[in-house]
Amino acid sequence: MSASQHAEEQVTARNNVRVSGSGTQPMLFAHGFGCDQNMWRYVAPAFEADHKVILFDYVGSGKSDLESYDGERYSSLEGYAEDVLDICHALDLRHVIFVGHSVSGMIGVLAANREPDLFDRLVLIGPSARYVNDLPDYQGGFEQADLEGLLQMMDSNYIGWANFLAPVIMKNEARPELAEELEASFCSTDPIIARRFAEATFFADNRADAANVTVPSLIVQCADDSIAPQSVGEHLRETMKGSTYRLLDVTGHCPQLSHPAQTIEAIREYLSTASSPKMA
Amino acid sequence: MTDRAVITQEGTAGLIDRIPCGFVSFADDGRVGAVNATLLEMLGLERENVVGNHIEKILTVGSRIFYQTHLFPLLRMHGHAEEIFIMLRAADGHDEAALLNAVRRQKGEDWLTHCIFMRVRERKKFEEALLRAKKEAEAAREKLDTHRKELEAANAQLEQQALELELSQQQLNEHAIELEALNQALNERSTQLETQRTIAQDANHAKSAFLASMSHELRTPLNAIGGYVQLIEMGIHGPVTPGQADALAKVARSQRHLLRLINEVLNLAKIEAGSVNYDSRPIVLRDVVNAVFPMIEPQVRDRGLTSEIDVSPQLVALADRDKTEQILLNLLSNAVKFTNAGGCIRIAAGDGGGSPGRVWLQVEDTGVGIPPDKLESVFDPFVQVDVSAARRAEGTGLGLAISRDLALGMKGQLSVKSIQQHGSTFRLTLPAA
Repeated sequence: MSASQHAEEQVTARNNVRVSGSGTQPMLFAHGFGCDQNMWRYVAPAFEADHKVILFDYVGSGKSDLESYDGERYSSLEGYAEDVLDICHALDLRHVIFVGHSVSGMIGVLAANREPDLFDRLVLIGPSARYVNDLPDYQGGFEQADLEGLLQMMDSNYIGWANFLAPVIMKNEARPELAEELEASFCSTDPIIARRFAEATFFADNRADAANVTVPSLIVQCADDSIAPQSVGEHLRETMKGSTYRLLDVTGHCPQLSHPAQTIEAIREYLSTASSPKMA
Repeated sequence: MTDRAVITQEGTAGLIDRIPCGFVSFADDGRVGAVNATLLEMLGLERENVVGNHIEKILTVGSRIFYQTHLFPLLRMHGHAEEIFIMLRAADGHDEAALLNAVRRQKGEDWLTHCIFMRVRERKKFEEALLRAKKEAEAAREKLDTHRKELEAANAQLEQQALELELSQQQLNEHAIELEALNQALNERSTQLETQRTIAQDANHAKSAFLASMSHELRTPLNAIGGYVQLIEMGIHGPVTPGQADALAKVARSQRHLLRLINEVLNLAKIEAGSVNYDSRPIVLRDVVNAVFPMIEPQVRDRGLTSEIDVSPQLVALADRDKTEQILLNLLSNAVKFTNAGGCIRIAAGDGGGSPGRVWLQVEDTGVGIPPDKLESVFDPFVQVDVSAARRAEGTGLGLAISRDLALGMKGQLSVKSIQQHGSTFRLTLPAA
């Protein structure tokens, strides 16, 4: 086995990488805080005809290899960005279209700043450069105390509803296409890992990183999103030079779940526009 | 959980309002369609505050994030959720902890999520206590881990040090073995040298004894030669012709030279054999000079040399007077011998200088001097430096060797400085009295 094959197998196992699609240009879908690659279940297949679709779980999420979890590496978003770059290198991906949901928007920004030549475009769905308010100039949407409330509630949940974490084997009459393996893994997370991911996500400040991005990007903003309010998306639109801003008239933070058709259309439309040159 | 009957606000208002749990039903976009009286009472809200508004309105901020990142995806993907802990926000701002069960079901075109909330005030207290205990246990475990790591590190360090100690011990052992070997070699060498020294000493003693006895054996016939020559010269055996007288004089001169040579060899042998006694006592150097110089004065004059004496009567040495006079006489005869007409012989003396407790007496000449490479060997027996055949005939080559041995025997020294063609200075240093 060659060294590159070995690296590919290692990273594939570590990040539960799934590759599909008949196109050549890679589209790398990155899930956000909370769940795993299944978040893309209604969106990713739409791009398989024209692209090479890559799904993965960050180490610590979904069906990734928990043995590979390193508390220090994943205590900041840089560690998650390394996962993205590791996958690009191991699979030898070029001209990558990175699609990141929620916190993965900023993870994509960090990865693209580290190695801009790897990426052709970034698609950021519900991104936020900073969740905590920095008044008077910046409205992130949250106060520090709100986020501490989230962490406390997560702790309580991990003690109170083991069912939520444990594999749930149940027939889903409403969506019979969902396989049992999905039931077993979706949203199940080690509580310590989940808490650290939450801290890395919600206490990050990536405004400067966003300002440095040179890869052309699409910002998909939901009209009524309690996690990434419009003020946050607008801030990114102003900060990220050469970005395209798309406001979806939907409620919620997960349009790829709640409104997959609109999400697909927004991404398709953006990809159909001529690629603008990278910012200097 | 069953969805056999579709629950609606209109049809079941009476029943639903009376159950002891909160109930709320909302669409995928979060808009609330129905709420029961129990939940309204729990949160102190009016029905119109809730119905038509977003479900997030009755959640704390943390719960909203949790709803968006966990609960909504879970319901969307799984269609149900059980026993989820969630914080509700009441009208007066206080928070109500609740456990939530939910199902997501299709109704016509829409999807509705029906939720039951069970208040868990008491349970929350227990859970908080449990959580605290868990956190404390984790903190304690982390502390233990840290200690364990520190101990492991210390242990590793100790092991390393032990290893280093063992290594240095090994090195020391190796050095010790090497030193032992060296020591043994040195001891062997020392023994060899000791043996050689003994052999050399024995040989020297044998040589001196041989010389002493040989000198005696030689002196007897030489004295006989001298005595019979005198008898012949005196005409006891008949008249002597002028030619015979001349030959006899030559025989007599040769006999005297040979006798002097043998006497000096005998002296040197005695000194080296250690059989000479020194009678050390205070002697005034000026007295020594006064006693010796007249013996040499005629020769000084005969050779056309001038002389100078600069010796203070204050200078007193602790030495054997006879031996000191013998040394001075030898130095003066050498000076006269090796200084050409018109030259000068100077006797000087002094004390201390570089060496306290010492006095010195020296003889300077303006003679031929000694080449630098020969300075060391002038004190060796039978050595004369660059001398003509005539001069060699006048000396035995033993004078300086004897003089130095005598000086050493008196705990003194004999040294020389010389510049070629400008003269030599021989200095005798003796202990001061």
